[in-house]
Amino acid sequence: MRIVSGGVTDVGRVRTNNEDCFRIVESLNLFVLSDGMGGEAHGEVASALAVETIVKCCMDAQSDPAATDLGPSEPTWSEKTKRLTNAVHLANKSIYEAAETNPEQHGMGATVTTAWIDGSKLSIAHVGDSRAYLLRSGNLQQLTSDHSLVAEQVRRGILTAAEAEESEMQSVLLRALGALPDIEVDTDQHILFARDILMLCCDGLTRMVTEPEIAGTLQAETDPTRAAEKLIALANERGGVDNITVIVVRVGAESRGWFSWLFGGARNKAARNGAAGGS
Amino acid sequence: MAKLSLMFEEKTVKEVPVGSRPVSIGRSPDNDLPVDNLAVSNYHARVYFEGGRLVVEDLDSLNGTFVNDLRVERATLHDGDSIWIGKHHIKVDASGDAPVPWDTGRKASAPRINETMVLDTKARRDMLQQAAATGERVQFAAGRLKVPTLIVIGGRTDQKEYMLTNKLTVIGKSAMATVKVKGWFKPPMAAQINQRDDGYYIGPGDKMPLVNGAPITGPVRLNDGDLIEVSGVRMNFIFRE
Repeated sequence: MRIVSGGVTDVGRVRTNNEDCFRIVESLNLFVLSDGMGGEAHGEVASALAVETIVKCCMDAQSDPAATDLGPSEPTWSEKTKRLTNAVHLANKSIYEAAETNPEQHGMGATVTTAWIDGSKLSIAHVGDSRAYLLRSGNLQQLTSDHSLVAEQVRRGILTAAEAEESEMQSVLLRALGALPDIEVDTDQHILFARDILMLCCDGLTRMVTEPEIAGTLQAETDPTRAAEKLIALANERGGVDNITVIVVRVGAESRGWFSWLFGGARNKAARNGAAGGS
Repeated sequence: MAKLSLMFEEKTVKEVPVGSRPVSIGRSPDNDLPVDNLAVSNYHARVYFEGGRLVVEDLDSLNGTFVNDLRVERATLHDGDSIWIGKHHIKVDASGDAPVPWDTGRKASAPRINETMVLDTKARRDMLQQAAATGERVQFAAGRLKVPTLIVIGGRTDQKEYMLTNKLTVIGKSAMATVKVKGWFKPPMAAQINQRDDGYYIGPGDKMPLVNGAPITGPVRLNDGDLIEVSGVRMNFIFRE
């Protein structure tokens, strides 16, 4: 799979500091996004610590394959899925311990949404209300569940989706890194297909921009970084009340069959001839 | 001990202390603090101590509960506050208690808008229970788990039956597809079935599937017994117990 990606973070129009943090590790096809919370600058500390811990743990997978099993795992999980889930458990521990050691950081926390692509296999590990979306054949599908009070109420049929969007309780999370010494991590595995587009984002985007708008932008803008910039600009136009972070990952063709090779070759030749003719 | 005084205009109508038990406020005479006014709901609000704080909670009343000038669902009360219910107001006298700080980060009983907070396990359970108690559309998980299943009734596929255990299901010729369609000129991804919070949705891939004979353009929610036709394959979508 040919992977092209880009990510952008923005402070928004209201806040003065950016508590979001993200990292793209191209060599591993690893994508990590975290939204921090906690007074003063502690949200920034928490999200940076989450991203750093997860990236380090995944990068060390080669040199130090003996992963410490911090949470439950399923027999169907791949090595990468296990590692990624463990990395999220480890990030929770790091933030929790940092907050315990430094009383002024008490109460800090972070959401985290991570994706690791290995060939056509996609591993997702997630805690909080940031989201992973998959756009496939024009169909935008949320891959993660929000661990927020309103989302839980929607799942239980207490609120409708429309009521949830109006709710003042949108910022109340049921799960976040750093709140408790142990945490439940949502883990999922999917198969990627050519032309799939994966997007990770924080709630700063999804509270301002609708899903059809996200789908439209991802389809219209083929450059991942520019697509992320456009989505952020749209969120800012609507008020940008929170920090906004977007990572866009485009999946290319798996391999080129003789058919596409033949026609792709012909097309390239035509393009070269055209350029030569024009000069 | 904190005290609530029910006032009508400038006259005190009734006084009650707030102890370990919540004080209920409403039009019904069995409330601790009955308020005789048509604008007041039968069980309108209650006041109680939680974690050393005096809290007022609106019980989904028709006309709302106001603290000073602000409509609240739940709010921490301070000495000298007024709770307005209809034309009556209730003066809060908490002068005997240790003063409650105005601004605390973590234990605030009412979250401030736009500031993300995490509920600890107990608060989370309480809040969900409360929400469940007031919600009318509550559905609890059915006793038996129903597994969504595709049953192939026509066309060539690698299996005759598929249990949809993943969030994403692909129907197509691709080796990675869940439902592998066999034959010449079949698309790698003909259609997709995705699990969402409220059910299973079929969407187009390289082909536009038919659901019960009608072509679909966007995601369509599948119901028990629906007939799906795509790329020469006919399947029934059913929930199997």
